[in-house]
Amino acid sequence: MKEANVDLPSNSETDVLVENDRAPAAPAWMHEHSPSALWRSLFREDRFFLVLSVFIGIFAGLAVVCFRFAIDWSRLYLLGTGAVLTPARMLLAPTLAGLVIAVLVMHFFPTTRGGGVNQTKAALYIYNGHIPIRTAIGKFICAALAIGSGHSLGPEDPSLQIGACLASVMGRKMRLSRDRMRLIAPVGAAAGLAAAFNAPISAVLFVIEEVIGRWTAGILGSVVLSAVSSVVVMRWFLGSESLFRIPAVELKRPTELIAYAILGVVGGLASVAFSSGIATFRPRCKALPRWTQYFQPAIAGLLIGIIAVLGAPQVMGAGYEYIDQAMHGQFTWEFLAILAGLKILATLLSFVSGTPGGMFAPTLFIGAMLGAAVGGAEHAFLPHLAVSPGTYALVGMGVLFAGFLRVPMTSVFMVLEVSGNYSIIVPVIVANTFAYVISRGLQPIAIFDMLTRQDGLELPSMEEQREEGILRVEDAMRPVQGPVLDAEKTVDQALREVDHTENDDLLVRLSPSGWSIISKQQLVAMANDGKAAANLGSVLPIRRVPYLHPDHPLETALRYVDRWAIVPVVSRADFRRLEGVITQRDVLERYREFGEG
Amino acid sequence: MSETTAALEEREDAMPVGVLDHYRLYLRQRPVMLALFSVLAVVFFSTVGGLSRVYYAQRQALGNRWFTRGVADLNANRFDAAVTEFRAALLYSRDDYSYQLNLAEALIGMRHTGEASTYLLNLWDREPEDGLVNLELARIATQQAQTDQAVRYYHNAVYAVWPADQEEKRRDARLELIELLLHNRAVAQAQAELIALAANMGDNPAQQQRLGDLFLRAEDYEHALAAYRIALKSDRHNPAVMSGAGYAAFQLGRYPQAQRYLQAAVASDPKDTQSAERLMITEMVLQMDPYRRQTSVAERNRTVVAAFEAAGQRLKACPVPNAPGSGPSMSENWTTLKPKITALELRRNPDLVDSAMDLVFRIERQTSLVCGTPTGTDLALLLIAKLHEGS
Repeated sequence: MKEANVDLPSNSETDVLVENDRAPAAPAWMHEHSPSALWRSLFREDRFFLVLSVFIGIFAGLAVVCFRFAIDWSRLYLLGTGAVLTPARMLLAPTLAGLVIAVLVMHFFPTTRGGGVNQTKAALYIYNGHIPIRTAIGKFICAALAIGSGHSLGPEDPSLQIGACLASVMGRKMRLSRDRMRLIAPVGAAAGLAAAFNAPISAVLFVIEEVIGRWTAGILGSVVLSAVSSVVVMRWFLGSESLFRIPAVELKRPTELIAYAILGVVGGLASVAFSSGIATFRPRCKALPRWTQYFQPAIAGLLIGIIAVLGAPQVMGAGYEYIDQAMHGQFTWEFLAILAGLKILATLLSFVSGTPGGMFAPTLFIGAMLGAAVGGAEHAFLPHLAVSPGTYALVGMGVLFAGFLRVPMTSVFMVLEVSGNYSIIVPVIVANTFAYVISRGLQPIAIFDMLTRQDGLELPSMEEQREEGILRVEDAMRPVQGPVLDAEKTVDQALREVDHTENDDLLVRLSPSGWSIISKQQLVAMANDGKAAANLGSVLPIRRVPYLHPDHPLETALRYVDRWAIVPVVSRADFRRLEGVITQRDVLERYREFGEG
Repeated sequence: MSETTAALEEREDAMPVGVLDHYRLYLRQRPVMLALFSVLAVVFFSTVGGLSRVYYAQRQALGNRWFTRGVADLNANRFDAAVTEFRAALLYSRDDYSYQLNLAEALIGMRHTGEASTYLLNLWDREPEDGLVNLELARIATQQAQTDQAVRYYHNAVYAVWPADQEEKRRDARLELIELLLHNRAVAQAQAELIALAANMGDNPAQQQRLGDLFLRAEDYEHALAAYRIALKSDRHNPAVMSGAGYAAFQLGRYPQAQRYLQAAVASDPKDTQSAERLMITEMVLQMDPYRRQTSVAERNRTVVAAFEAAGQRLKACPVPNAPGSGPSMSENWTTLKPKITALELRRNPDLVDSAMDLVFRIERQTSLVCGTPTGTDLALLLIAKLHEGS
C-alpha cells in the first residue's frame, strides 16, 4: 500500500523500502552528477520553465518597448507634435482611427476587442494556455492606433495580453505539458504588465491576485523572473524613471487620515458609477446590429474629440502627463473634478464601443484627478485637514484601483512602488479599504467578472474565491467512538477490549508514534490462526495510516478517506492525542451540507 | 481554437518521419529551441535598439525645436507662449534640465509660482548646487514670506555654481539676500553679509555707492563711509555719494567731515533738501558745542548761556514728570541754576560751564524720551550730548 505523504514522519524503514525499489546499479551521486544527468536535470520541465520565463520576460519587454514607440509615433503623426492640439486633429484623428480600427477588428483581428486581462484568464482556464499570435499582432496595431489617436484607453492591458500571447507561442514551440501551458499565459502577462507599468511587484501581484488566484512557489518564481527580466529590458531602452514625478509625501497629523477616508468614500462611489456605466452600455452596444460595429469606435472617437475641443483635451489618450500635472497642483480642484467625470465618460465611450485598449491608465487618471480634486476641496473648506494635492492624487490612483479594478493588494503595492515612499502606506490602506468596501457593497460583481459574463465566458472569479469560506477537517470530523487499541497489547487483549463495540474498524496507536487501523474480523482471524498471544503491533496488516490535523483543508482529507476506512485527526501539539476521526462519509456529508447552505 | 491546434499537432506527430520531419523534430528539442530563442532575442534586441535610436533622435529634434521657440518667447517676455512651448518640449524629454528650468522661469513670469516651485524643487533635488535654481527658489520663498527658507536658498545661490559670470551672479544673489534681511530688520545678519560682500566688491563707484547705501540701511556707518569714500575717488562730484558720506559722517558724530560732504552735496544738488536739513543741523552742532576746540572763553560762555536758555524753553514745552523720592526736579534744578548762568558768572566760575551743560544734556535726553526726537536747536543739543557721552 502506498505510503501517505502528509505529515508522515520519515523513518529508516520507509527509506529502505524506497531504496530497494530503485535498486541502483551505481552510487546515486555518480548518476546525479554525470554530465548527461545534469543536462537532463536542467531541461526538466519545472527548471526549464524558469529558464523559459526569463526568455518570455525578454521578448515581452522588447515587444512592450516597440508598443510604446508605436503609440508615441501614432500620437505624433495623428495628433501633432505640440502640447496644444488643434481642434481639427482632435476631432478627426480619433474618428478616422476609429473607422480603421473597426475594419481591422471586424475583418482581421476579431479577438482584440477590449482590454486583455480576461482573454489571458480565458487562455489559462479555457484554452489550455493557447493564445493565437494574431491576437498579439492585432492588439499591437489596433491599440497603438487607438491610444495614439486620442481614444481614452491605456497601454497596460494590451501589453499584458501581448506578453501573454508571446509566452503562449513560446510555450507551444517548446511543447510544454498541458499544466505548464496553462500557466504560461499568466507568466507572459506579468512580464507585459511589468514592462508597461515599470512596476514589477505590482505586475506580479496583479497576475497572482486577478489572473491565477493562488500562490505556489513554482508559479511565483516564474512570474517574478519574467516580470523582472521584462522590466530590465524595458529600462534598458526607456529608462528607469517612474511614470510620474512623485511629489514629496508625508503624513503630518493622524487627523489627515479622516481626509483620506473621505477620499476613499468618494473614490468608491466613482468606481461604482464607472463600472455601472460599463455594465449598462457595453451589452447594449454589443447587441446593436453588426454593421453598427463599423462605426462605434469612430462615433466614440468623435465624441471624445468634441469633449476635447470643448475644453478638456486632457481626456485624450492615456493621459500620464496630465496625471503628473495634477500631482503638482497645476489645476484647480473644480477643474480636476470635471476632468475625472469627463474621463469616466470618455473611457466609457471608448471601451463600450469595443475599441482595443486598456482600462488601467484611465483608472489611474480618474483616480489621480479625483484624489487631487478631493484634496483641493478639502484644502479649501477644511484647511486643517488636507496636505498637498499631489499626495491625494497619488492615493486617489490606488483608490480607483481598489474600487474599480477590485485588486486591493495590488492597489496598495502599486502606489508604494510608483511613489517609492513607504510613509504613504497608511493613507493608501485607509482610503483603499473604504473604496473597496463601498464598491463591493454597491456593485457585487467585480468589473473583470462582469466583462467575462458579458462575453459569455465562465471564468473563476478571483474575488469570489478570496471571499469564499474554506471547509476544514474540524468541520467534518467526529469524536472517537469505541476503544483505541494500543499496539503493545496482545491480540487476545485487544479482542477482549473490542468485544462490546459496534465499530468494525478500530484505530491502533503505534509506539512510539503513528497510527494504524485494524478490523474486528481481522483480530478474530488472527486469534483463530494462533496469534492470540502475539503483540498487536507485530501482526498489523497495515503498518501506518496517515493522520490529519483539525485545521487541514477538508479537500486534503479527500485524498485519504477513500483509501482508509477511518483517518485519525490528531493534535498538532501531541501527535498521539486523538482529536477525532474522519471518514469518507463525513467528508461528503459536510460538502453536501455546505452546498445546500 | 485550442482543440484545432492540438489536432493539427497530433496529425503532425503521426506523419512518417522523413528527412524534413527529422529536422523539424530536431528543432523541437528544448536545447535547440532555447538556442534559437537566444539568437532571436539578440536579433530582436538589436532591432529594437535601432528603432530606439531613431525614436530618441526624433524626440530630441522635436524637443529642441519647441525649446528654441520657447526661449525666443521667454526672452521677448511672451510668457504664455513660452510656457506652452516648453511644455511641448518636455513632452519629448520630460527630465531635461534646461527645459524644466526655462519652463519654471516662464511660469514665474506668469506668476504661477506654485507650479514653478514644483519644477524648481525637482531640479533642486537633482542639482542642489545650481545657482539659478536656488536663486529662483529663494525669490519664490520671499514672495511667500518664508524668510528662513529664502535665506537658505539665497545662501545656496551665493555659494553655488554658476555657468557664467560666477562672481557677478554670486554678488547679485548676496545683494538680494541683504535686501531681504534689511526688509525683515535682521540688521546684524545684513551687516555680516555686507562685510562679506564688501570684500568681493571691486572699485566700481556705482557698486561702492550701492554698498554704502546698504551699509547705511544696516546702520554700519563706518563701513558706509568707507564705501562712499572709495566711490568718491572715482566719481568726485556725485551728489548722492557725497550726501551719503555726509550722512554717514553725521551719524558717526564726525560733524566737521559731515559738514564738508553735505556742503558739497547741497552745492552740487540744491534740490537735495534732506542733505540741506542735515547740513543745517550739523552746522548748529558745530556752533553750539561749547567744548569744541579753538573757541574763546567769551564765545564758549555765550554758547553755554544760549544752550541753557534753549533747554529751559524745551523743558517748558515738554514738562518731564519727576519720579517720587528722586530729589528736585529738572525744572527746579534749571530754575535754581538759572540766575548763575550768565556770561559774567561763567567767567568768574568756569566750573559752572560743566554744571550748566550737564543739566542741558539731561533735559534734552529726558525730553526726547518723553516728547520724541526734537528739531532745530534742541536736536543739535541732543546730538552734542551724545557726542560727549561718557566724556
